[in-house]
Amino acid sequence: MKDDAFGIKVWALSAGYIPLKSNGKEPDFVSQDKMAVLNTGREDAHLKLTIYFSDGETAGTYELTVQGQRVRAFRVNDLIFPHAIPLGVAYGCIIESDVPVVVQFTKLYSTQDDLALMGTTAYGHTENDNGKRRG
Amino acid sequence: MIIRAKNEQSNIRIVGAGHSSMPLVETKQMLLRQDNLHGLIDYDMQTKRVKLLPGTNIREAGEILIKLRLSMHNTGDVDYQNLSGAFGTGTHGSGNTLPNLSAMMVGCRVVDGTGKTHAFTLENDPEMIHALRVSLGALGFFTELTIQTVQAHRFTRKEYYTHITACLENLDELIDNNLMFDFYWYPRSDGAKLRLCNPVGEGMSNVGYGKLDKEREGWLYEILPKERTDKFEEMEYALPREAAVECFNEVRKRIKAKHRQYVGWRVLFRTVAADDSYLSPFYQRGSVTLALLQNHQLEYQKYFEDMEPILRHFGGRPHWGKKHSLTAEELAPLYPRWERFRQIRREMDPQGIFLNDYLNKIFGL
Repeated sequence: MKDDAFGIKVWALSAGYIPLKSNGKEPDFVSQDKMAVLNTGREDAHLKLTIYFSDGETAGTYELTVQGQRVRAFRVNDLIFPHAIPLGVAYGCIIESDVPVVVQFTKLYSTQDDLALMGTTAYGHTENDNGKRRG
Repeated sequence: MIIRAKNEQSNIRIVGAGHSSMPLVETKQMLLRQDNLHGLIDYDMQTKRVKLLPGTNIREAGEILIKLRLSMHNTGDVDYQNLSGAFGTGTHGSGNTLPNLSAMMVGCRVVDGTGKTHAFTLENDPEMIHALRVSLGALGFFTELTIQTVQAHRFTRKEYYTHITACLENLDELIDNNLMFDFYWYPRSDGAKLRLCNPVGEGMSNVGYGKLDKEREGWLYEILPKERTDKFEEMEYALPREAAVECFNEVRKRIKAKHRQYVGWRVLFRTVAADDSYLSPFYQRGSVTLALLQNHQLEYQKYFEDMEPILRHFGGRPHWGKKHSLTAEELAPLYPRWERFRQIRREMDPQGIFLNDYLNKIFGL
């Protein structure tokens, strides 16, 4: 088993959008954006999320912990502290971790009965980007 | 203070911990704090009655009582309110057989609006105790409270996650088989958090359809309140228990249909036993309370304004310290002893020293 930390500490998502409408039993089929975080290291990863919108103030900081050598998936819909992220509006997100992690992003839109699911890896910010690391 | 207020024709309001979100104590004149008037005065182990100063907060009361191996019968979700403020606004916990906190008050010393001090007990003047328990600080200010306590027991508090459907299917069992039970419903996932609290060895030992999230054992005052740092606005109505599930279903349907874009915070469902306090939202009615919570940074007025008619349609009475829009005209029909309370208020405070603009509005003065 891999016991060292794999991944990087800063990730970005720019295609956030959770539709207002959903079909099917919840929570499984609620329209959702989901982030899955893989922490291969032995130390817990403490994540800080800042949310950006197309208009208005940023939201955050949303704090999450992913235990060492664990993967944790969470719906963005359920991020309600410090406040709920509005549905039906575009958002982006910066995820900052104190240890290296890998972040994957999936979307489930159930606004119609024919469900659609897609996923992508978040953008990983490295020291080679702009010459410096965020934070 | 009373003499000064009378001479200056000014008003006095009494502030507790400031937990209420209605302008019950708002005044530009005299604001009386009783924070330094706290602690134990006396106790009687035979009757389990304990005299405390009115500025004692819930946490301190618990700490005082446990030294005597006594306990309050219940507490709310937070423990920093002063006893006088918690009683005066009808603060409650959850439990089908457990009345709101003010029902503990079986005696008091109170200074009225003429400056006269009265001593009342449930035995020598039950009517005044029933008027004073939930009185919004409108009859005078307390200088001493006598509370009826119970033997202290160790309690187990368990929290389970489940789906709201499973919660509602098993609701009667959850309410009837646990001394204290409540649940949160989360509008964005249809999830429910069940909270069970029972004396050790009693109540439901497991919830098969739920995932155990937390378990804790301790004295009631230690494990029931939660530390709360998030700031929020809240509307809460007490409903007749028989109407509660139908009302909750309407609330759930409405939030999902209309408010989920900005509402992610929970709805809290609690049960409270009937009591005889004139302005208690649970007056002679076993109740369920539904509380809508919204983060203070997000729009809450439109949300609450849209939901309030549903809560009122099912016979709801608003929590005195939380958001509602009712004035005397709407409140009077909800409280059978409304006029008698107003009469006692006039007798206790003929010059209206303990009123402010908001109390004038809700009492129709």
